[in-house]
Amino acid sequence: MKVDLYEHAVRVAMSRRRLLQGTAAVGSMAALGGLGVKTAAAQDNIRAEILKIPGVGAGSPTDADWQKVGELCLATTKANVAEGEFEGVELTFMGLNNQNLHNFLFRGFLKPWEAYTGAKINWIDLAQADYNARLQQSIATGTVDFDILEMGAPFEGDTAGRGLLDEMPDWVAEQIEADDLVGYLKAPVGTWDGKTYRVTIDGDCHTFAYRTDYFGEGGIGGAEVPKTWQQINAVTKDLAGKTDPLTGLPAHGYLDPLKGWGGFGFYFVANRATAYVKHPDEAAWLFEPDTMKPLVNNPGWVQAFQDVMDLIATEGAYPADQINADPGTTAFSQFLAGTGSMLMWWGDVGSSARTSDTSVVGDVVGFGINPASERRYNWRSGAWEEEMNEAPSMAYIGWGVYVTSRVSGDEKKRKAAWSAAAHLGGKDLSLWTSAYPSGFQPYRNSHFNYEEWEAAGYDRAFVEDYLGSNRDSYNHPNAAIEPRIPGIFQYYSVAEDELAKGFAGQYGSAQETADAIAAAWEKITDQIGRESQIALYKASLGM
Amino acid sequence: MAEQGDFLHVVTTDNLTDRRIALGRAMIWGSAGFLAVVALVQTLQETGYADFGFSTWRPTLYAYVLWAICLCWGQVLIRGERGKRVLFVLPAALFVISMVVFPLLFGLVIAFSDWNLSSPTGRTFNGLDNIRQMWTDDFYWNAMANMVRYTLAIIVEYAIAFGLALLLNSQIHARKFFRVAFLMPLMLSPVAVSWMIGKSMMEIRFGPIARLARELGWASPSFFGSPEMARFTIMVMDAWTYIPFMMIMILAGLQAIPRDIQEAAKVDGARSWRGFWEVTFPLMLPVSITVILIRIIFKLKLADIIINVTAGGPGGATDSVTSFIFREYRDRSNVGYGTLLAMVYLVLIVIAITIVMKLTDRWARPRY
Repeated sequence: MKVDLYEHAVRVAMSRRRLLQGTAAVGSMAALGGLGVKTAAAQDNIRAEILKIPGVGAGSPTDADWQKVGELCLATTKANVAEGEFEGVELTFMGLNNQNLHNFLFRGFLKPWEAYTGAKINWIDLAQADYNARLQQSIATGTVDFDILEMGAPFEGDTAGRGLLDEMPDWVAEQIEADDLVGYLKAPVGTWDGKTYRVTIDGDCHTFAYRTDYFGEGGIGGAEVPKTWQQINAVTKDLAGKTDPLTGLPAHGYLDPLKGWGGFGFYFVANRATAYVKHPDEAAWLFEPDTMKPLVNNPGWVQAFQDVMDLIATEGAYPADQINADPGTTAFSQFLAGTGSMLMWWGDVGSSARTSDTSVVGDVVGFGINPASERRYNWRSGAWEEEMNEAPSMAYIGWGVYVTSRVSGDEKKRKAAWSAAAHLGGKDLSLWTSAYPSGFQPYRNSHFNYEEWEAAGYDRAFVEDYLGSNRDSYNHPNAAIEPRIPGIFQYYSVAEDELAKGFAGQYGSAQETADAIAAAWEKITDQIGRESQIALYKASLGM
Repeated sequence: MAEQGDFLHVVTTDNLTDRRIALGRAMIWGSAGFLAVVALVQTLQETGYADFGFSTWRPTLYAYVLWAICLCWGQVLIRGERGKRVLFVLPAALFVISMVVFPLLFGLVIAFSDWNLSSPTGRTFNGLDNIRQMWTDDFYWNAMANMVRYTLAIIVEYAIAFGLALLLNSQIHARKFFRVAFLMPLMLSPVAVSWMIGKSMMEIRFGPIARLARELGWASPSFFGSPEMARFTIMVMDAWTYIPFMMIMILAGLQAIPRDIQEAAKVDGARSWRGFWEVTFPLMLPVSITVILIRIIFKLKLADIIINVTAGGPGGATDSVTSFIFREYRDRSNVGYGTLLAMVYLVLIVIAITIVMKLTDRWARPRY
């Protein structure tokens, strides 16, 4: 290669791998004569091409669409793996089959990968409510029967901490262009004891979604979109008895899920609580870092529980039978289907609003960050501070694909497992999962290129609103990061159980409910080991 | 015909040599000693009293199998022909020890342990802590009270099942069709019933049962919204699934009643109502008691519908003991406490069933 060409490539920040790919592509195109130029252009335009599958407004993607996207995004795999290289390799993949998302997509994405590499994947599908228990039991009983695992960062304490994961090879980091991840997903997230274990496939933060037809001049919810939990609660109570402008059914305000979801439901009261309890000067908001004493029964948390209990007590504030609504119901069966006007959920409800068949609110949906609180509780001083407080909840810190140490001794199998993980975490493929219903939200810097979304069929105002809410949450200086400590979902699960009892009136008050959670959390900490939990908790918060 | 030296060769007790008996005893005691040593070493290592040992309990299992083989072989050597008879019983006995007795004993150990699945230190002995926790756990006692309610509902189920059986035993049109139709719910698994009935048909917005309820004037038909309503709905769904089982058993009993007894009653002037109470019902008592006992056993295991539809909610109001234990294990990873509750429940069931069987023994005897 000529030196001036090399220097030009360096000037435009081309990576070594891209450079080699480009060189190989130009070489092969030259061999193919005139056809080469056209094919190279198509390759460059891969992102635009996959965003047209199936196209915004063309309904929910199907298995054929997932396969097509998987096929079009195979180039990076081909750069590292020869055709048929994994012939005879069988891998077991455990992941989520939630709402027809996650594993369903992975199957489609990996089908062309299987065809090209010759490997075969066997699937273990888990419902969201079963996920934690299955993973925990596998770990505890030493029966890890999967080679590839879809897992959230909170479980890294349980898995990486026990040496169950395989360290990510350098070539994978290069293939997935890990530098492109948004700041909060870079180390320490995805790393444990300084080693990288995870191919990130999701961001995760809760954002606020609301119905624009409820608010504004003449809107039944008021002229302004609520910005604080105090305003949200007031509007929700005020809407009881009114009629929804879109559906003609009863109008409702904020949709709290009152039924548990295998531990994941706790995020939906925690996102209320962060505004009350996450102090800008403190990273800790779940436990006191030096003692692991739960903060969940301090006045800030109790206020969050009390908010929900007040709404339960207000007739018509929630849709009927809300006591049986879990977070899946509030997002997909209620908000997207036109019931209720305000929701906290992971970012992907935004892309689903526009591109899912089940959504009727695509034209009347707006986004914002986690609502604030007009005052905050300082657990160190033990007093309320009359300060406006914003604290977006980075709930679950993103899904990732991990390879287990089961394959560490077999280099061929190990490479195959990491290749599959890298394919799912590829840069181009991830743009597609961000833009279409997938269970994943934008999480790379390159996902925030508004023009690409516009070209796919989204309108500029929607994209700025939707992507802006994600970006502002990720970059918020007072973001509430959850700790990656062993047993974190046991804490959540028991909290969910106690909350359900509190919401059903089985406890005397919000404080009593919170005290029950705190007592159960203390017991879990003692069972797991207080000293080790303190050390891991501090490490996960960078203290 | 077996010959001298063959394993099946008949050796009477008189022909046993001292050497042979000594060898048999050596095999039995040697293998038993080996088993004891392996188990002891493993226990010492597990409890932290010894640094050496095996990484798993698998060697203990192998030692147990070796002991089992030596025990069988040794019995033949020591007792000759009579020892061979032991061979017919011993495998089953050893199997029961492995698959029933050992798990129960192990369960007993766990029941007095503090065991969280995330804990790197694993299981620790915590004495009577789990019992104390059970004693003060209001939500466990609530689940226990629910079990009493759910079990008492069997009386209603039995009455309905008896009525349906009488109906299907009489000369009605399309009798075969109705027999098959009534049996259908029994073919469904409780999980399918949960989704079909609880999640779909009773869904508050679009479910046909909810719509019908609205038509009938119930403005907001939330079948699982309040504790009382949720409990009642769970009972109805469970009854819908299992009434056909009771019905078919009672129907079989009704058809087994000799026709001449009923005809003789008619001749004696017993009209239909009196004939039922004085002839049919007493004759059906043995079948009824059996049906009710089996149904109680089913009912005591009620969990799947609850777990799928309400997850024990609202706020634990619909929990059965089994669903409560399930959540202790699954969601809270409280293996020790969950096991204690399971053991206590097992003991209570055995006591309750024994008492019920004693009390009903007299009624359950055939009357004809």
